[in-house]
Amino acid sequence: MSLVNFTAREITCKIVYYGPGRSGKTTNLQYVYGRVPEARRGRMVSLATQTDRTLFFDFLPLELGTISGFTTKFQLYTVPGQSYYNATRKLVLQGADGVVFVADSQARRFDDNLESLQNLQDNLLAQAVDVRQLPVVFQYNKQDLPRDLILNREEMDDALNFRDVPSFSADALHGSGVFETLKGVSELVLKRLAAGTAVA
Amino acid sequence: MRALEPWVAAPLQTFINESAARLILLMTTSGQVVAQHGFSRSVEVMTAAALGAAIVASTEELSRTMAAPRFGAVVHNGSRQSCMLSAFATPRGRWIGLVVFGSETSVGLVQLFFDQMVEELVMVAPKEQAPAPMLAENFEDELNTSLKELFGR
Repeated sequence: MSLVNFTAREITCKIVYYGPGRSGKTTNLQYVYGRVPEARRGRMVSLATQTDRTLFFDFLPLELGTISGFTTKFQLYTVPGQSYYNATRKLVLQGADGVVFVADSQARRFDDNLESLQNLQDNLLAQAVDVRQLPVVFQYNKQDLPRDLILNREEMDDALNFRDVPSFSADALHGSGVFETLKGVSELVLKRLAAGTAVA
Repeated sequence: MRALEPWVAAPLQTFINESAARLILLMTTSGQVVAQHGFSRSVEVMTAAALGAAIVASTEELSRTMAAPRFGAVVHNGSRQSCMLSAFATPRGRWIGLVVFGSETSVGLVQLFFDQMVEELVMVAPKEQAPAPMLAENFEDELNTSLKELFGR
C-alpha cells in the first residue's frame, strides 16, 4: 500500500517488476539506475546468486519529484523469475501498489510467460488482492531480436493481455521502452491513489 | 527524527532517549517507512526498510516451515554495533522496528524499551484511517515533467 505523509507531503509507492526468469526485470532496474541522477536515487540492492540470478529481489529507491505538492518516491522491486523461488516472490509482492509484467518476447518463451502470469494471479489471490483492481502494465521485452524469433506486440497482447491494460514494446538492455513502461505504471498507480483506494 | 504521522513521534522519542539506540526505523511489513531517527538520506532509509522487511518476512516464513511460533526478534551482534529487528501489531497493521545500537547500551535494554514503545504506540494509535491525498487534475503533466527530468529526456 502507498504511504502518504501529510505533514511532510510525501507519497511513497511500491512497484514490482514480475515475469519469468531471464525476461529482463533486473535489466530494467539497471537501466533506470544508470540514467537517473545520483541525487535522485539510492543504491541499487541486488540479492543475487553466484550466477547472477535474482535470489530474493533487486531494489531501487527513486525520488520522482513533486506531484500536486507531494514529494513522490518510488520503490522499484524485481522478483526472482525462476519458478523454485516462489516463496520469495510472494514476500516481495506484499503491499505492491503496481506491477510491471516483463514478458520475454521470444516465441520459445511463450509458455514461461503464461506460467508466470498465472503465478502472479495466484500469488495476488493468496494475498486477497484482486488482479483486476491492481494497476498492471505489460512490457514485451527483447523486441530487438530477429523477427523470426519473437512475437510482436499485437501477438503478445493476444496471448497475455486479456484485460487490455497498457502494454509497451521494449529492448531493456539498450533502454528502449524502459522509461515508457515506468511512466505507464506510475500514472496508473497515482490515478488509483488519487481515487482514494490505496492509502494505508 | 521524522515520523509519517504525529502520534508516532512521542513514543519513538522516548525510546530513543531511554535506549541510547543510534538508528531506528519503523516500517510496514511491505517495507514502507513509517518513522526514522538517525539516517541522513531518504533513499538510504528506503533501502534499509526494504532489507529489514525482507529479513523479517523470510524469518517468519522459516518459522512457518519449521512449524514453530513466530520469532519475537532477530538480533545480529556486531563488533562495533548490533542490530535488532522485531515485528509487532498496531491498529494500523503489522509494523517492524529496526534498531541499530552500540556498546553504550545492551540488547536487553533495547528490547525492554522497544517493548514499552510498542505498548505506547498501540495505546495512542488513532482508530480512523488516514484520508486519501488530493492530487490535482493536472497531476499527469507534473508526472511527465518529473519523469522527463529524472531520465534527462
